[in-house]
Amino acid sequence: MAKRIAIVEDEAAIRDNYTAAFRREGYVVDAFEARAPALDAFESRLPDLVVIDINLKDDVEGGFELCRELRARSADLPIIFLTARDSEFDAVSGLRLGADDYLTKDISLPHLMARIAALFRRLDAMQKPHGNESRITRGDLVIDTERMTIHWRDIAVGLTLTEFWLVHAMARYPGHVKNRQQLMDAAQAVLDDNTITSHIKRIRRKFLAIDADFDAIETVYGMGYRWLSD
Amino acid sequence: MNLKRQLLLVSLLTLMLPWAGCEFIRETESALRSGQQQMLAGTARALASSMTQYQEEFPASDGTLEAGDQLYIHPLASRPSIDGYFDDWPLERESLRAMRGADGPVHVALGALGPAVYLYVEVVDRDVVYAQSQSIVLDKGSQHADRVNLINSSPPYLDEVIAFAAEAPGRILSYKQTAYGFAPEPTITAYWQDVPGGYQLEARIPSALLGTHLGVVVSNTDDAATPGTRSSSFEGRSPGPAARRLPELDAVATSLVQPGMRLLLTDAAGWRVAVAGEIDSESMRASGSGFVRRIYDLLVEPGKEAAFAEPDPQGREQQTYVSSALSGRETATWFRSDESGKAVVAVAAPVQTDGATLGAVVLQQGTDAILSLTNEGLARLINLTLITTIVVAAVLLGYATWLSRRIRRLSIAAEAALENESLQSALPSALAEDEIGDLSRSFSSVLKQLGDYNDYLRSLASKLSHELRTPLAIVTSSLENLEHEPLNEAGVGYTNRAREGADRLRRILAAMSEASRVEELMANVEPEGFDLKAVLDSTITAYRDVYKDRSFSFDCRLDKAATLGSPELLIQMLDKLVDNAVDFSDDGDTIRLGLTATDDGYALTVENPGPPLPEKMRTQMFDSMVSMRSGKNTQHLGLGLYVARLIASGHGGSIEAHNTDGGVVFEVTLPPTETV
Repeated sequence: MAKRIAIVEDEAAIRDNYTAAFRREGYVVDAFEARAPALDAFESRLPDLVVIDINLKDDVEGGFELCRELRARSADLPIIFLTARDSEFDAVSGLRLGADDYLTKDISLPHLMARIAALFRRLDAMQKPHGNESRITRGDLVIDTERMTIHWRDIAVGLTLTEFWLVHAMARYPGHVKNRQQLMDAAQAVLDDNTITSHIKRIRRKFLAIDADFDAIETVYGMGYRWLSD
Repeated sequence: MNLKRQLLLVSLLTLMLPWAGCEFIRETESALRSGQQQMLAGTARALASSMTQYQEEFPASDGTLEAGDQLYIHPLASRPSIDGYFDDWPLERESLRAMRGADGPVHVALGALGPAVYLYVEVVDRDVVYAQSQSIVLDKGSQHADRVNLINSSPPYLDEVIAFAAEAPGRILSYKQTAYGFAPEPTITAYWQDVPGGYQLEARIPSALLGTHLGVVVSNTDDAATPGTRSSSFEGRSPGPAARRLPELDAVATSLVQPGMRLLLTDAAGWRVAVAGEIDSESMRASGSGFVRRIYDLLVEPGKEAAFAEPDPQGREQQTYVSSALSGRETATWFRSDESGKAVVAVAAPVQTDGATLGAVVLQQGTDAILSLTNEGLARLINLTLITTIVVAAVLLGYATWLSRRIRRLSIAAEAALENESLQSALPSALAEDEIGDLSRSFSSVLKQLGDYNDYLRSLASKLSHELRTPLAIVTSSLENLEHEPLNEAGVGYTNRAREGADRLRRILAAMSEASRVEELMANVEPEGFDLKAVLDSTITAYRDVYKDRSFSFDCRLDKAATLGSPELLIQMLDKLVDNAVDFSDDGDTIRLGLTATDDGYALTVENPGPPLPEKMRTQMFDSMVSMRSGKNTQHLGLGLYVARLIASGHGGSIEAHNTDGGVVFEVTLPPTETV
């Protein structure tokens, strides 16, 4: 059965382009231009994934509001912010509201498709029984590439997709320096240097929340980052 | 010249007050005085015309006589004793008539009291030669002696001589020339007094022995064998008529004079023939210190010294106003005395009959009242205006100080606000309702506009990139959809080109939003301690990989450079500087980095060979959207160095650029660790 994607975007041209692209990939697409009609439709049926713009015409923070209401209804509905707002503050706010990813409109359609596919894959994997073949273990770190989850000392680390891929890219070859371009490619996103830096900071913080002595990610100034494994 | 001095100068204008007051007082005084002079002149004229009826009483004058040939017989108030000394004469020494003598000046005085005439002669003589008993009158052969001759005559009769010569100092006999030669004259009392350097002779002669014309001849010899050198009181062969006070005219003058006035009558030569009345000498001395009086003297028209108003001690009135009256012109003048505060108004009028001048009437009157009035008024005026001036100057000075302090505070605050590029709080005097308040408010609005403009410039790039991102997304997503449509070869080519263009546009937008992202990061950065040197070492290694056609050198003598801040951001700053250095240098050039410890922290330098910076850009180049590049690299919006400055100042440091020999050096100063 085809997955159903809802897209809430006030800019008609973008909405139509994304709709066309999603349909081409075989998804069923519901397109909305504002929060109210979207909520009305979700009343009767929740889609499998929602792509939301933050700025919905006059409803400046409408995307955030929508995200909060959707998250209230379903804890595991994948939500992706796709917005022109690239400020750190907005990204943090969006992710705090429970979004699975925060993407700026710089992202190319193939990248967007890849991410959506990955999110669905994770969703599917969650429902399947555990299989060890997709696991990568690096000391205290366990990466489940199928479910796209990461555990540190057996505690799940709540990472977004982008963060997951960054950790994955570093931890696959411990001790190797991954430069920013490599990390960007791994995350399938166009990120500038500062965004990478903030992502790494956020990842470190999430690990530190579990383990106060966490220091497995090393900054190699001027070059990139590497995973240290004992 | 600052405001304070200017106002102080302006306050000097209040000195006009005393000046105007003085002008007024001077006017008043001179008006009063000229009124008094006119009144006095009228009286003097009347007196002069009434004097003509006493024509006969005035000494006759033939007009050929020289005044110098005449002697004046002073009226004596008391009888001097005949002892050869002048000090018991009721006259001043100024009254002595001086003549030139052989060994020094000869002084002569004549006085009249009752029926006698007194003679005093004072001779400077190196060597007094006394007469022999036989030669006491005969002055010939080897019989010469020092002697004094009193020549008298009543023309047309011949001259007669009374000779005084001494055999010894003391009381001497005098000899009178008669038709039969010299004979002792017992009615004359004479005394010869030797004094150091000469001798003094005093004699009393009955008036009956003397004629109308008198002269004194002194003969001075050095030894008995030589004739003496003669010095005489007259020039010609015979002496002139003796001038004296005339009792008849004195009586007339006394009867005519009014109280508080002095009346002098002179003959045609100016000899005083009558005196009557006294100037009221009871002076109302003006109050006021010497200082005030000095100012007064400066301000008020000066008169002649009051002493000159007194009758001449030698008996002959020689003041200009008297001489001009004697030449026929009525003249007024005035005298004043500093000591007594006394002023004297004087008028001299000629006494004329048939065109001939008989003499002059001199009328003098004190003007104590006027002078005291003005003097006291002046003193009060000066005091008051002086106080006013000081008060006004002090008030103006205080006012100016207050004004200039307000203006200075305003200017300091405005400058500070300008440096911070923002208006933190209201400028001083913003609520004042005067012009300074207006100025302050205008400053505020100018600064606010400037701040708004700067904010606008700063946010322009990020706003622009933000606004352009959505249309760009439309373009790219459309192009990406287009790729899935069937296209011919040319269509694919165009699509690819369009995508390349859109990609470039995206990179530009990313660069434009970088500054605002850096600012955002800076606000949230959690400073960490790190070793700047180690970070630089590793970064420079990375640069060597990235820029393979440049060489990099790193000069650092420090073992460790402990720094607090964000290493990522500092590297980003360095990236911008190195990127800049690479763009302005050529392949194979060496880019030199350096890190040194300074007094205020660390100095990080990036130096590249290349063209010098234009001088006018030196300060602007770190501003937003200012680029010095000339088309070499099209993707530069002039944000790189702005980001570098943002990061440097976010770390509490600063960034500067200088030209060096054949290159450019950028220097970032970072504060020492403990102040970050």
